[in-house]
Amino acid sequence: MHYANTYLEKPVVPDVKITGEGTTDVLKCMLNTGSDIYQGACKKRGSTLKEEYKNASGTCYMDPRDMAKLGVNNWDTVLVKTDFGEVVLNCAVSRDAPHEGTVFVCKGPWANTIVSHDTYCCSDPTYKGIRCTVEKTDRKVLLMADLMRWVYKKYVDEEDDDVVENMDSLGELPVYHGRKWEELIDHDL
Amino acid sequence: MEYILKNGIVYDPANEVNGEKMDVMFKDGIIVDDVSADAEVLDVTDKIVMPAGIDPHAHVAGPKLVVGRLYRPEDSRRGVTQKTKVLRSESGFSIPSCPATGYRYSRLGYGTVVEAAMPPLEAKHTHEEIATIPQIDIPAMPLFGNNWFVMEYAKDNNIEDIAAFVAAWLKLTKGYGIKIVNPCGSEAWGWGMNVHGINDKAPYFDVTSKEVVVALAKANEMLNLPHSIHIHPNDLGHPGNVPTTIETMDCVKDVKKGSKAAEIRDQVMHVCHLQFHSYTGNSWKDAASGAEEVADYINKHDHITCDIGQVTLDETTTMTADAPMEYDLFKLSGLKWANKDIECETAAGIIPCIYSAKNPVNTLQWAIGLELFLHIDDPWKVCLTTDHPNAGPFTRYPRIISWLMSNTRRMEMIENREVHKWAEKRTTLATLDREYDFYDIATISRAAPARIYGFTDKGALTPGYRADIAVYDINPNDIDPSRQYAEIEKGFNVADYTIKDGQILVKDKEIVKVKESQNVWVNVQGWEKNEEKVINNIMPFFTQYYSVKWENYPVHDHYVSNPIRIDVDGK
Amino acid sequence: MTYEPPVTDYDHIVENCTCAFCGCNCDDLDYLVKDGHVVAVRHACRLGASKIMEDMDQRLIVPMIRDENGELKEVDWDTALDKAAEYIANSIRPVFYGWSETSTETMKEGVALGEYIGAVLDNQATICHGPSLQAVQNAGYPIQTLGEVQNRADMIAYSGSNAMNSHPRHMARYAVFCRGYFRQRGRFDRTVVTMDPKFSDTAKCSDKWIGFEQNGDYGFYNAIRAVLRGKELYQDVISGIPKEDIYELAEEMKNAEFGVLFFGLGLTHTLSKQRNIDIAIKMVQDLNKYSKWGLTPMRGHFNVNGFNIFMAFECGFAFGVDYCRGYPRYMMGETNTIDLLVRKEPDCFMVIAADPGAHFPNGANQHLADIPVIQIDIHWGPSTELADVVLPGSFIGVECAGTSYRMDGVPIFMKKAIDKPETCRDDEWIVRELKERVMKLREEPNTAPKYVPNPNAL
Repeated sequence: MHYANTYLEKPVVPDVKITGEGTTDVLKCMLNTGSDIYQGACKKRGSTLKEEYKNASGTCYMDPRDMAKLGVNNWDTVLVKTDFGEVVLNCAVSRDAPHEGTVFVCKGPWANTIVSHDTYCCSDPTYKGIRCTVEKTDRKVLLMADLMRWVYKKYVDEEDDDVVENMDSLGELPVYHGRKWEELIDHDL
Repeated sequence: MEYILKNGIVYDPANEVNGEKMDVMFKDGIIVDDVSADAEVLDVTDKIVMPAGIDPHAHVAGPKLVVGRLYRPEDSRRGVTQKTKVLRSESGFSIPSCPATGYRYSRLGYGTVVEAAMPPLEAKHTHEEIATIPQIDIPAMPLFGNNWFVMEYAKDNNIEDIAAFVAAWLKLTKGYGIKIVNPCGSEAWGWGMNVHGINDKAPYFDVTSKEVVVALAKANEMLNLPHSIHIHPNDLGHPGNVPTTIETMDCVKDVKKGSKAAEIRDQVMHVCHLQFHSYTGNSWKDAASGAEEVADYINKHDHITCDIGQVTLDETTTMTADAPMEYDLFKLSGLKWANKDIECETAAGIIPCIYSAKNPVNTLQWAIGLELFLHIDDPWKVCLTTDHPNAGPFTRYPRIISWLMSNTRRMEMIENREVHKWAEKRTTLATLDREYDFYDIATISRAAPARIYGFTDKGALTPGYRADIAVYDINPNDIDPSRQYAEIEKGFNVADYTIKDGQILVKDKEIVKVKESQNVWVNVQGWEKNEEKVINNIMPFFTQYYSVKWENYPVHDHYVSNPIRIDVDGK
Repeated sequence: MTYEPPVTDYDHIVENCTCAFCGCNCDDLDYLVKDGHVVAVRHACRLGASKIMEDMDQRLIVPMIRDENGELKEVDWDTALDKAAEYIANSIRPVFYGWSETSTETMKEGVALGEYIGAVLDNQATICHGPSLQAVQNAGYPIQTLGEVQNRADMIAYSGSNAMNSHPRHMARYAVFCRGYFRQRGRFDRTVVTMDPKFSDTAKCSDKWIGFEQNGDYGFYNAIRAVLRGKELYQDVISGIPKEDIYELAEEMKNAEFGVLFFGLGLTHTLSKQRNIDIAIKMVQDLNKYSKWGLTPMRGHFNVNGFNIFMAFECGFAFGVDYCRGYPRYMMGETNTIDLLVRKEPDCFMVIAADPGAHFPNGANQHLADIPVIQIDIHWGPSTELADVVLPGSFIGVECAGTSYRMDGVPIFMKKAIDKPETCRDDEWIVRELKERVMKLREEPNTAPKYVPNPNAL
């Protein structure tokens, strides 16, 4: 059966070619989070385990001048740290640039590790306008299931972050014991 | 099940029963002449028995109410009560939650409450709330006075199409009758303006308020609707609005009542919350009462009925489909202002209001309401309302009854300066010593609203009617309401029994049973062809300028699971 | 993106379906159905289309419980419901969070369960427009339906909202490009201003972009208010905006015939939170002295407004309602989900039609790792990775009918177009079952022996 397809592996971003090592190892920035259309489409389709969600939500959108300072190109990885945690993200040129000094991460489990839970007594955490640092890294961006395991460790008996980060990946499909949809739904793809 | 209410003292104005000691019997939800020996006896010796109360004009369900609750948690907190094995928890004072609304009306001995303003586009919302309110029957009145289609037809004096439009919209919205609020004024509010007086035109529509009112009145009678047009005239709350009010009433005096409608009601126009429309003067500095003049018109004309909208001197929440007026109030008080414009149909405004007895204007409003009650001679022409929650919450009805029944109390309030001196300086209240008796009270809160709405199954203890009955723990032969006004208020505050459709909901002043509410709507028959034609004509416009699809516009049956449909022969 | 040919192989079309994505609740979608599956969608935006053309790989199909190894395992419905009911019945501080992507019919069962057991009921407003609701409670709420905007508005301002990305049809269907009764030329009859630190996609198609600095919203709106009230601005640059631009904008806003301010999470998520909205509401109120202005919060989920409306008429409060004392209590910052989780108060968490795993800060989510979590949803998401019981629901507006409320409060009946997978259940049924099972397990706590009226209401 022919289904209309809305899957897109990576968000479309402007080209950039940064050469050289950059001028700094650690860049101080302002972090904003929020949604964009790629993240929204992927999340609500339900494709949160997939590479697509990792790329839509786990990406740090930067001003190209900031990327030059760090010496990073589209889809390199960076480590973003705030007072509330740290996470490894892809980096890419922001479609909304210029906004030198500000980085944007779409909401999702990746952003959650670095935003403030402080509500200042008004129910809503502080998702925007947080000070952060961005640095180059060789670590990989985790897929959603692996990230959830790394952060919360709810169902693993391991406390060490590094060990959990390097466990076998849970992959891009649900892991459970039971019937799968292919067995249940009468279809013909 | 059969029941007999024994030895009560009955006030049933529709059957001219005035304080007679007699039994009232009902069987399977209906009042009957006679019951078998197996009937359960409810001893109500020397207690007042009346038909259950009917509130002809209150705001209890719909988008306005929700905005009020949403933005006034302080009001919700004021009325929280813990759940019991029978009752859900309650909240709210002036804008109670839905369960609280039903319970509180039931405790007052009420059985039917008319939701006075339903925007058709959001009628589904109103019906969702109606379904959440327990205990009472709730007809809802869709708004027509600023509807673009109606204004267009009125401009062309096309009464037949208006009638067809109304017939169709009552079906679509599951509504009861025609409500008009500040005709043309709420449309003008679309541009931040208002109309002034009844001869002003809505911007761009080239039609006056008067033309809209007359056209809708004619359409109403053409369809033989059980209720007349129900109008909130222009210039509400403005000093000097008496001429507008009188002209509004006068403009339909030559409209002929529908032949079938004439059998069940007397008026061709019901004016709501008349108190807000009876001010003289040019500004609040020199404002005074116009109650005498307005009442005089009503006394001399039989085509008008009214309800009062009595100010109760509480902190409350005002809400009306007269949005420009609410913005005027905001400019006066500076309290938080909410507004809600609804495309092609209406505009509502909401603002908290603190009616204080120390405030001259609020006292004036309080006195004018009472003056109207006392100046209008025929209690069949006037109904007890606070325009809940606009002039005060409905839970204050017993207090208003105590004021109406006691000149002593009224004079005490004036003379002891419990109210501002404007009460005697700018109104005639201090000169009025009329006191309502229980028969009059039963009229303004039961019989009159039933007749005005053309109900032929409630508002009286006639055999064959629904067994909607209230019993109050007051012995009319052993009380002097004039002196014992506090006992009157207390007695009417909680009914001894509230019986709805033969089910005992309140017993010994406690709610013992919770019943699902029912929506009451009017199904006009005989206009189907015209309705289809009108709908076809407006469809291109609807598709282009409404923000929902036609398929999503009507109130689906899903939302009115348990309606009472009144079939009306419109031809 | 590669070119895809249009889908032509379908059995029938279901017209006028309602989109179950954002607060626009577009009710004009056409679903192309083949063999009981939606194979394509017409009229929807990218977001709506992708939601309706769901990812079946991650569709929750069967009820599941965590086994002793921490792995989810399929069980039958009875076992799953009993387990979930047991968690709820044995808890003393349950929180039922979510509701914004299900119907008010489901909420009805939810509030009955919550009131019975004494739970906290909260929805996504708590992490999006909660501050807006708080501001509304401070300052007021001048709104209008979207059709009013379409027919009358000649000036549209988006503030802290990137409509092109989060409400993609908002501009086209309701606010900017569409033809209105008094705006026959559509886009050409309107001035569009976007106020956002980012040069967002919405800003790119606006007439004017006010790029105030990060956390500068409060100062900026105050400056406009000052100008509207005839005051002079002493600083040359306010919140990164030259004062001349502020004068010019204020003048334009005053001269609009009908203006509307749409505001989004850009205002609620920055440091000044509800105060930003406060001041924006007051600005709109001031503007009404000169012309007609209204505002509308850009609500995210298709029924996030519905939950607030629903709770308001059920119990008088919009969200964050705590029933633990047998009556509703509501206190911003105290009875809301994030605050409760950060304080580690809840001992059972039910998430329905929401995804805290994806949208709560870790500081809040950490507590979910310590307590039982029940999930009712249609897709395997980040929250599933934290869930102990998983109950697969059905898709409102596609597989199941229900009521939702648009961002402007217009109620929409979302109809059913296709059948749900046989092993799934309707949300309404699931919550009703839970309610009935909890009622059997535990007698109703916190009831008063007798009705006692609140003296303040007398």
